[in-house]
Amino acid sequence: MRVGSYEVKLEKKVRVSGLEATIISLLAIVIGLALVGLVFLEAGVNPLNGYKAIFSYAFLNPFGLPLTINRSVFILLCTCAFIIPMKAGLWNIGMAGQLYGGALGAFGVALAFGAKGSQTPTASPGMIIPLMILGAVVGGALIGAIPGFLKGRFNTNEIVVTMMLNSIGYWLIAFMIKEGGPFMGGGGEGQGFKLSESVFAPMAWGGTFTIPIALAVAALLYFMFAKTTLGYQIKAFGLSPSAAKYAGISSQNVPLLVFILGGLIAGLAGYHYFAAVPGLYKIPTNYGDFGDLSFYGIICGLISQGNPLAAIPFAMLFGGLTNGGRFVQGQLQLGYGIDYALLGVLMITLVAFQFFYRNTVVWKKIERES
Amino acid sequence: MWEFAARSLNASTVFTIAALGELIGQRSGILNVGIEGVMLFGATLGFIVAKTTGSYLLGCLAAIAIGGLIAALHAFFSITLGGDQVVNGMGIWIMGFGVTAYIGYPYTGPLGLERIPDVGGLSPFFFLAIALVVLTWWMFAKTSLGLRIRSAGESPSVTEVSGINVTRTRYLSVVVSGMLMGLGGAIYSLSYNPVWSINFLLGWGFIALALVFFSMWNPFILFGGSILFGTLWQLSLNPQLVLPDVLSRYIWRTVPFVITITILVLMSTRWFSSRWGAAKPEALGLPREEE
Repeated sequence: MRVGSYEVKLEKKVRVSGLEATIISLLAIVIGLALVGLVFLEAGVNPLNGYKAIFSYAFLNPFGLPLTINRSVFILLCTCAFIIPMKAGLWNIGMAGQLYGGALGAFGVALAFGAKGSQTPTASPGMIIPLMILGAVVGGALIGAIPGFLKGRFNTNEIVVTMMLNSIGYWLIAFMIKEGGPFMGGGGEGQGFKLSESVFAPMAWGGTFTIPIALAVAALLYFMFAKTTLGYQIKAFGLSPSAAKYAGISSQNVPLLVFILGGLIAGLAGYHYFAAVPGLYKIPTNYGDFGDLSFYGIICGLISQGNPLAAIPFAMLFGGLTNGGRFVQGQLQLGYGIDYALLGVLMITLVAFQFFYRNTVVWKKIERES
Repeated sequence: MWEFAARSLNASTVFTIAALGELIGQRSGILNVGIEGVMLFGATLGFIVAKTTGSYLLGCLAAIAIGGLIAALHAFFSITLGGDQVVNGMGIWIMGFGVTAYIGYPYTGPLGLERIPDVGGLSPFFFLAIALVVLTWWMFAKTSLGLRIRSAGESPSVTEVSGINVTRTRYLSVVVSGMLMGLGGAIYSLSYNPVWSINFLLGWGFIALALVFFSMWNPFILFGGSILFGTLWQLSLNPQLVLPDVLSRYIWRTVPFVITITILVLMSTRWFSSRWGAAKPEALGLPREEE
């Protein structure tokens, strides 16, 4: 193609360097934010002031920052839950269902030990809290195992199955916490019971102890994909399931395994938000919002190109954007759901920018023929 | 009883029209897993336009237009830029989910228009759905346009050599497919369930996607599957019709989703997949190599 006196050509990229990928990702985010800036303009707010308000609440405000961190940890865990199947070439869009499973597991354990409201639990917190985490992990892994098993055994489309499980998990929670369900809270309409104070998740260095856990999960995953046989097998399966088969990698076990691992981490995300974030300690009426928030894990996983450590700053950014977005929509009288608009617009700009991961645009001046 | 049957058929109308759209796109070789997003756009924009202008016709037209536009974006990403169709579809879905949540929120609540007159409980869209099923079948079986679309989905390079513009054929199919998805969404939000709330499609688009796989790309099987799912959905909303007081109504709400998974698994068995594999468009979902 010719543009003026330049020849513009596309060349296929063989490899994308880390620096290039970072530049492309940041560019995608900047353009996405600029597009959402139109929403601010429409509401009569200067987009720069809008974003300034978002970022200063999210990262500089003493009330906003802890909320940002809690959201970021949640998004980071959802990202890890997305990344593991992604490395095997599979789509886990069922983090919502899996984190609901995790919440049910954790609160099921709490209920079994009578750790409800003002009651005195029947065991020591030192025993109940680890068991609650175990319950969350098992709950998430069980929901995750379903698409993994079906994919491995029958080659059933995992996108549709995980999406269906999101809806199933949503209604299961509704059943548990509403209209006389086993987890119903006393008095409050349509929300789960509150945990006993003694089983509130412990704090570490001023934040919930799930923060170091999430960071450790990301580091562990990075190590797993970089250094271990298991990580290698998952990646080989993702590149070519049939070639992996000749290398002795089971085409049944890999899908099952990656979805169990993914579900397990999503279950942890459920524990984090419903049982560890200060001020909540219950399954609230709007639990569906957290299922929606988990979709940021997809964007974060795609933008960090499946690198769990690179996902950490992006998770921080998205945690801050959604938290700050919620805050400024009240302050600047914007419509409800600016965080949803951001989710949609960021995703589509990112998808558009995938093009630049695969191609380089080459500009060449055309020599004037004399 | 008839009332229940009519309501089920009205639900199946949404599945039929949206899934027919997906079927046409897939026949040309382009997979759009973002059908839920396109439907959300159609449902939300159709709802807003109908509510503000008071005209169902304008609502439907707006839904068809936005559906075509969003699908054209998918076509641009998948055909012109040659990206992974699943990634692009996911982008379309999440964009639909996020953006419609924002633009629709001020219109939360019932539509507040007089209902579309029905024929013995059946919405007029049901008859439109039957007509579209027959028309789609006829197009693929009897017309040269149908043959062009099918060959673009089976073997694009051979098609190109035989003098058919594959890119144009695929663009056309995908845009038409998006128009039908948008219309399906509008039928949901204007006729079947005229109350807007965030993400009120509840995964119907994904069920429609599963239906296309289930149909082996045959419009009549697709219609039968849609009626099955419409009925299941109605049953899950009215459990007292079959087993009064057995399960909580919330548990019943999971039933259509459980059945979708079950049917998908049955389709993946060897007996079914040998037939399925034969019917599947050969080049479905594959990026095209340009020489």
